[in-house]
Amino acid sequence: MTTSPQALTGLVAAVLADDGTAEWTGAVPRRVAALLDAMPAPARTAVRGAAAAIDAYAVARTGRRLAALGTAEREHVLTSLAARRTLLPLLDAVKMPLLLAAGTERMLHHGPRPAVSAPADPPLDCTPSPHWPTRSTADAVVVGSGAGGAMAARTLAAAGLRVVVLEEGQHHTTESFGRRAPLDRFTDLYRDGGATVALGNPPLVLPVGRAVGGTTVVNSGTCYRTPDHVLARWLNHHGFAAAEGFATHLDEVERALRVARQPLDVLGDNGLLALAGARELGWAAAPLRRNAPGCRGSCQCVVGCPTGAKQSVQLSVLPDACAAGARIVTGARVRRILTDRDRPGGPRAAGVVAARPDGSELEILSPLVVVAAGALHTPPLLRRSGLGGHPRLGRNLSVHPAISLAGRFARPVTGWKGVLQSVGVEELHTDGILIEATAAPPGMSSFVLPGVGRELRMELERTDHLATLGAMIADRPSGRVLGRERPLLRYDLAARDAGRLLGAQRAMGRLLFAAGAEEVLTGVPRAPRARTPEHLEALLDTVSARHLHVSAFHPTGTAAAGTDPDRSPADPEGQLRGVHGVLIADGSVLPSCPEVNPQLSIMAAALGVAGRYVARAR
Amino acid sequence: MLGRVRLAGDEADRPVRLDLLARADSVLLPHRTTTARLTGRIRIAGRADDPGAQGELEISPLAHRRIRYRLAFELEGRRLHLDGWKSVSFKRPVTSMTVLPYTLYEDGEQVGEGTLRFPLATGLLPFLTGFRFPRATQAAAGRHLAPRWDGTPGRTEVWYTTLTDPATGSGLWLHHEVVAPSDGAPAYAHGWIALFPKDGPAEHARFGPAPWTAGPDGFTAADTSATTGRLTGSAGPFGWALTEKDQGPPLHTFPRWSWRRPWLPASHMLPATRARYSGTVRHATGELRLAEAPGASARIYGHGNARRWAWLHADLGGGDVLEIVAAVSMRRGLDRLPPLVFLRLHREGRTWPRRPERTAVGWAGIGRFRADIGLPRWRVEGRAGLRRITVTVTQPPEGTLTLDYTDPDGSAAVCRNSERADAEVRLERWWGRWRPEATWRLAGTAHAEVGDR
Repeated sequence: MTTSPQALTGLVAAVLADDGTAEWTGAVPRRVAALLDAMPAPARTAVRGAAAAIDAYAVARTGRRLAALGTAEREHVLTSLAARRTLLPLLDAVKMPLLLAAGTERMLHHGPRPAVSAPADPPLDCTPSPHWPTRSTADAVVVGSGAGGAMAARTLAAAGLRVVVLEEGQHHTTESFGRRAPLDRFTDLYRDGGATVALGNPPLVLPVGRAVGGTTVVNSGTCYRTPDHVLARWLNHHGFAAAEGFATHLDEVERALRVARQPLDVLGDNGLLALAGARELGWAAAPLRRNAPGCRGSCQCVVGCPTGAKQSVQLSVLPDACAAGARIVTGARVRRILTDRDRPGGPRAAGVVAARPDGSELEILSPLVVVAAGALHTPPLLRRSGLGGHPRLGRNLSVHPAISLAGRFARPVTGWKGVLQSVGVEELHTDGILIEATAAPPGMSSFVLPGVGRELRMELERTDHLATLGAMIADRPSGRVLGRERPLLRYDLAARDAGRLLGAQRAMGRLLFAAGAEEVLTGVPRAPRARTPEHLEALLDTVSARHLHVSAFHPTGTAAAGTDPDRSPADPEGQLRGVHGVLIADGSVLPSCPEVNPQLSIMAAALGVAGRYVARAR
Repeated sequence: MLGRVRLAGDEADRPVRLDLLARADSVLLPHRTTTARLTGRIRIAGRADDPGAQGELEISPLAHRRIRYRLAFELEGRRLHLDGWKSVSFKRPVTSMTVLPYTLYEDGEQVGEGTLRFPLATGLLPFLTGFRFPRATQAAAGRHLAPRWDGTPGRTEVWYTTLTDPATGSGLWLHHEVVAPSDGAPAYAHGWIALFPKDGPAEHARFGPAPWTAGPDGFTAADTSATTGRLTGSAGPFGWALTEKDQGPPLHTFPRWSWRRPWLPASHMLPATRARYSGTVRHATGELRLAEAPGASARIYGHGNARRWAWLHADLGGGDVLEIVAAVSMRRGLDRLPPLVFLRLHREGRTWPRRPERTAVGWAGIGRFRADIGLPRWRVEGRAGLRRITVTVTQPPEGTLTLDYTDPDGSAAVCRNSERADAEVRLERWWGRWRPEATWRLAGTAHAEVGDR
């Protein structure tokens, strides 16, 4: 069992104002320590270092460590610390894992989880990598089993190719989701324990999934078709030939995912309030189109749907691929793509080398390698393989920067009962702002509650009165993926996008007040709450983008396809330039930001890229 | 290679041994990809012992960084396929070049998996000494007829054919030569034909000289040609039209490398150990009709004639051929050495001694073959390994033709040639004492010449 250091225990007690009256707080330090273990070493070290620094501050002020202090003294230490505005972002960073753990423990103690019945998953041909032969061959190897990889695998397998899908994560069944606590699933399903960070000002948290099904296992299930103006840009400006007939591809993907508009019955109060606010303002808003027929409003999309309603690709597309003969190898991290360099006509892909969890390697020879490792991991993989020579590889990263806002209502909202992402407000979409009513299981929202100590504890106890909205903006491609062995992300928010984020925050504030909120929590540590629209406007005048707590969710464009060989690492057909037999079939192939939740766009692009390859090969 | 295999249905690994021979059609170049045919034996303890395993080897240690083995073999009546490869890594050169993980398939379904290792301690030396250059294929035999001269002054190149008509006992000698004078004058082609009737003096006629223009195949100049499978021409009263059918592999009388890289004063080789000739040769007193007459063509490329030399081509029958060139070089220093003997006995499909250098220089001079050059009789003897050979050649004075040769530098030599020579070849083998192994006596069917200055 993971043990928690004393500094962490003391910090948890201080931040949550643990006075011993509640039982659940006692288990939080251990859960925080387990969460930190799943995080990458730098993040772990940073949180532990911050905890040690706060402990040292306590020793300097009181002569004793936080854990040895009484409740009042701890509160006093933290209040004096929080009074220093420059330290607020640091406190916020420490609060995030604490809130995640606290939310989970509180939920476990307060409300016993209702037993959920889930239908059996469609069968998948999954083989753990230790049981896969060290040497094997295939007609096509697909790296990654997420949205793009699954669609490419299905298309290629249906064309009669022997397809092997390599997935770094494990296969998780719907039944296993229903059995385990959300936070346990969280650390398993997300890469780096969900703490993937892009460096920049402000830094972004960019969580991505790692499992059979990729991020589709942990996304909210929102399915937007690629907007027409984006498609026109891809075709006419970038020359992305695989986007021809995109409407047909989108139709097919929607059929595969059983996309439909979310009915109102299980929408939940969070979504209904957003609808009410939009109606009050006269803004265009509607329940979102989602790939979750029969959704029961469990509000656990982000940690794997426990009822099997959300048709993430391991329930919808991959079973079709496996039925057509595709095989999935789990726990296999692709180290590099093999290339034969003396082939007539230039280098040609020859297969992949993948690492098993024990460090041993397996090799699969294949004349076709489909790279669908995600926009963050495709560039490092290509660099490791000696295929990263294009100067634009890893650049052109769009991430949909997002912020969230919460409104406190007089009556209980209980956001975690209902659909997680329920309503889309598209009034400002032409300005690049898309507002989506997004609740989350306690602690798992990207919204950070204000305050520390008693103030934070009070907020925690009253979270059932909060409605949360999220807004993402269509951003300029201002990010970059560096690194070979693991991605190192750099994202510098463009000035236009900073303005859009602030505009989104004001719009969400207006929407919440229009829906009847008594108070709006801004998520900005230095200006945490406003009680009137005017107060909010005045407050936000003092806030700049670097004060915001920004998340990002949809990385795209790092190996973009296009006609210009100087600007596009991939050609218009989605083939990597400079080598034969490497297709890019994930978010990285998209030429520019899709401006909506990108699952359908990525899957349709993968379908286009793989389908055109099959047509050319015939 | 030794290793283990886990067959489907087995609960434990089994020892495996793989002994393979790889043959490629081209020279193994490490930076390129070479495909070779595999034959060998695979043994899986208690389950399989197939001495007839066959497959393919793809050797590409740098370009693909992979050495891939694909092998089909029998296991208890089932046909299995082994597919595996070594992945060459510069970080782990020894391990990656010696460890071969593989998978076994039956009808495309996986039925086993294992790893083989090359045993460096016991296998490296045999492996390294087992390398051979690939033999030229039969189809490429004609390439030896293509002109070698590259425009360098001071070179001479010869296509010559000698044969014996078994019906009349007559011998025939066709000589085609290109001379590039040392003074840079234009190269010229010339030659002669000589007929050695069984009873009577030899008669000959010269053709050329004519300007030389190199063609892609053999010698063509002055209405005379010696190309693949065909010899035609005319000289004085002679006219000839012959077809040539090769009946053996190429034979390099001098080291093979000296034909590719002309670093020796000259090199001599036979595009085929034996050939059969059919057609007609018209001469002053009549016409010779040949039908499957035995003989051979040969090629010379070098700086000119030797100071002193002897040559023998003896068709020993049954596909066996003896070819000897013994010569003293014109080069300063080398001209003080005794004759260097290049002796090649092509017998039962193999050539003895294995390396031509053995007969010429022995082990730093020790054990070299010796020649006693004279007329009408000359003699060569020598010993290599457990065999020794004695060759005595007699050129009858009445059946010997004397011709003047001119070197590229203008110096003259005299050649005394007979296509009706006698030869006695005695081969012995050591087994407690020297015991006769084979003896051949050729009466008037050996082709020989002796030259000097």
